[in-house]
Amino acid sequence: MSRPVLARRDQVLRGGQPLAFGVGLLVALVVGVVLLMGSGHDPMRVYERMFDASLGSSRAWSVTLNRAVPLGLAGLAVAVAGSMGLWNIGAEGQIMAGAIGATWVARIGEGWPGPVLVPAMLAAAVVGGGLLALGPAVARARIGVNEIITTLMLNEVALRLVQWLIHGRWKDPDSHGFPLAPMLPEQGRLPNLFERAHVGVVLAGVVIALFGLAASRTAWGYELRVAGSSGATARYAGISLQRKILTVLVVSGGVAGLAGGVELTGASDRITEGLSNGFGFAGIIVAALALMRPSGVAAVALLFGAVQIGGQSIQTMGVSSSVSTILQALILFGAIAAGVFSRYRVEMVSGDAAEAAA
Amino acid sequence: MNETDSTSCSPTNSTAHRPPAVELSGIWKRFPGVVANAGAHLTVLTGTVHAVLGENGAGKSTLMNVLAGVYRPDEGEVRIDGTARHFRSPADALAAGVGMVHQEFRLVPSFTVAENVVLGAVDRIVRRQSIESAVGDLAERFGLATDPVRPVWQLSMGERQRVEILKALWRDARILILDEPTAVLTPGEADELGGVLRRMADDGRTVVFISHKLHEVTGFCDEATVLRGGETVAASLPVDGTDASTLAGLMVGSAPMANERPPPCVVGEPMLEVEALSCLGDRGLPALHEVDLTVYSGEIVGIAGVAGNGQRELAQAIAGLRPTTGGSVRLGRTDLTTSTPRQRFTAGLGYIPEDRIGVGLAPRLSVTDNAILRTYTSHRKGPFLDAGAATNHCQHLVDRFGVRTGPLDEPIAGLSGGNLQRLLVGRELSDHPQVVVAAQPTRGLDVQGVKAIQDLLVAERGAGVAVLLISEDLDELLMLADRLLVMHDGRVVAEFDPESARRHTIGEAMVGHASTGVVT
Repeated sequence: MSRPVLARRDQVLRGGQPLAFGVGLLVALVVGVVLLMGSGHDPMRVYERMFDASLGSSRAWSVTLNRAVPLGLAGLAVAVAGSMGLWNIGAEGQIMAGAIGATWVARIGEGWPGPVLVPAMLAAAVVGGGLLALGPAVARARIGVNEIITTLMLNEVALRLVQWLIHGRWKDPDSHGFPLAPMLPEQGRLPNLFERAHVGVVLAGVVIALFGLAASRTAWGYELRVAGSSGATARYAGISLQRKILTVLVVSGGVAGLAGGVELTGASDRITEGLSNGFGFAGIIVAALALMRPSGVAAVALLFGAVQIGGQSIQTMGVSSSVSTILQALILFGAIAAGVFSRYRVEMVSGDAAEAAA
Repeated sequence: MNETDSTSCSPTNSTAHRPPAVELSGIWKRFPGVVANAGAHLTVLTGTVHAVLGENGAGKSTLMNVLAGVYRPDEGEVRIDGTARHFRSPADALAAGVGMVHQEFRLVPSFTVAENVVLGAVDRIVRRQSIESAVGDLAERFGLATDPVRPVWQLSMGERQRVEILKALWRDARILILDEPTAVLTPGEADELGGVLRRMADDGRTVVFISHKLHEVTGFCDEATVLRGGETVAASLPVDGTDASTLAGLMVGSAPMANERPPPCVVGEPMLEVEALSCLGDRGLPALHEVDLTVYSGEIVGIAGVAGNGQRELAQAIAGLRPTTGGSVRLGRTDLTTSTPRQRFTAGLGYIPEDRIGVGLAPRLSVTDNAILRTYTSHRKGPFLDAGAATNHCQHLVDRFGVRTGPLDEPIAGLSGGNLQRLLVGRELSDHPQVVVAAQPTRGLDVQGVKAIQDLLVAERGAGVAVLLISEDLDELLMLADRLLVMHDGRVVAEFDPESARRHTIGEAMVGHASTGVVT
């Protein structure tokens, strides 16, 4: 008698992750056929629609790219922390903090021209996100407080802060009593690139590429890799773990804040409590699928964005939103599960001593 | 080994009529690059406390893990109560009555004592009170004082260990293995544990007790088996009839002095000067007590001692990886007492830590990344690392020190133990250090690897470097060292001339029975 077991590969399969994503997608689509037929839809038509809406035209591409921007930046934020073994679960809140910073600059810089205002807003977004991560960073670096808990809890704080602002100080006097912030001025918006896509697409691409370069080519990235591999080795090599933890978490928060700034200036009219839209949490999945490597984040974010946009589009065909969400989850779940096989392989072991327990 | 025949005696009268509970014979267990057990055997009689002795790396833990079903032996037979067994998991072993208390406790800190004890061993919903009182009764029966309702995180290490023992007893283990149980205990707790183990033996259970502390063995064990280099060198010695120094001699070996001793070297200026150095151990207790030592340029000073007597902390304190509580470290004229690890390296201190992977080398990183660990700050172009220079440096190390490796940008995981150590030692030596601190540099390596590393250290000595060699292998120390210091309980307790010292006397100093050559 023999049974299959998972055995760790000596080396992670090269190109295993894209392969895994493909396999996961395929499996999910097959399972999805059952799901869709069970709920009374024609799977082929649904899939066709998903593809058309996300990748089928330049307009579809523009929408997908716009969605990939906050996903990619949030994923980058998580990956930067994750590459040294830290978990920033607070990107959701840092996105909000970034949007608060950007909105604040937009309010004080009312008459500024666009080329000044937008960069200033984005800079403030980075600062906002970084500030929200500063507390957890100090607590982790100095006294070892688990950053997972602190960053997660600050999500709620940032959300409440936005609510407090748009119900109070920042409430638009012309909103007829609705808790809405005023619309951003026209010069506080990111210019368009093509169709719906805004310049944030380029910006996010550049930022991700810069981090990819920093992670793989600079001394800073090297120190990060060492510290992420083993804290004791880092100390042995003379790397200050405290300082690394501090800077990495703050930078991670800043990148998430930038996601908030870009989302605000590129895709939203005003700051709302729904602005972060789960991007921060989705960023964790993006980073995990990219194996915490900044260089992989962009591709994963694009695929993730396409899945989201495609999934949403089929709701107009009468597919219920829960079925669409399940389908999206299946795809991601399949990709993550398939990713296991780039690190493990299936081995058959013989159960020679199966009777020994008796 | 032939010593087995000459030293194994028939059991004492008190144990003569007892049947064996455990019989391990011809156990082989190989790991990549290491043979942990090479035909080891062990017989433990029912109702006795049996000590398994040996230095670190002697194969004690591996043998016990084989007995407890954690490892499957490559060859050999396991018999429990006379029946051959092929354990596939610890659960199998437990079903046959074999329970093990590991060195690292496996407890849920937020659960109570009672919850931890019964975790996984109750198959239906039960009342909390009935479990708590049952666990309390069990504890009382064996004198394992614990409060079943207290959460484990509140307990001392000694109390946690009692919970681990209770877990095994709850699962009705008739054969209980304890892996270095006293390592985490205060002396008082250790004595108490001895009483508990005796009580269990008197109750008809069998206890296998791994240790390298001789006084414990003489205190409450019936018989002792000594392992060295994965082999059994003495089986089932009656503890009553054997004195501690014989056991010490068996543990450290009595191979004839190697005659290929490197020729003496011209000894120069004092290079490494450690004065009154004190520091704390991992558990916050003093581990080093005002250690003084000097290593002159061109000599190898060996530090001998049984594991856990401060050698590890001494190396870390000198390397700057452990905060000191007093004393000073000087390298030549430079005071390094408050320097960072990197400053010490730059000042000329090479350090070969005993934990190769995880301290000396970063797992998951490439060969090149590991090769530049100490010098990456000098391979820079602005903020960028000069990848070409790094690769050159790595290639140079690989060529010069004969590291057999695949592509340099692949993770080091693919390298064998000997090649990892060549890379690490080579890196530490390549920047022309004046002092090298080498902690267990040859542990776990194969013969070729051992030879290569030893040759490198001797070559450094020849080049006028001061080498501090910490090793648990007395043969190695006697062969390489120009002077031999013995550490016991965080102090340097004796100094010997390796040429003339008697192994027996060194062994006594190592276990704190020093009578001659004591310098404290």
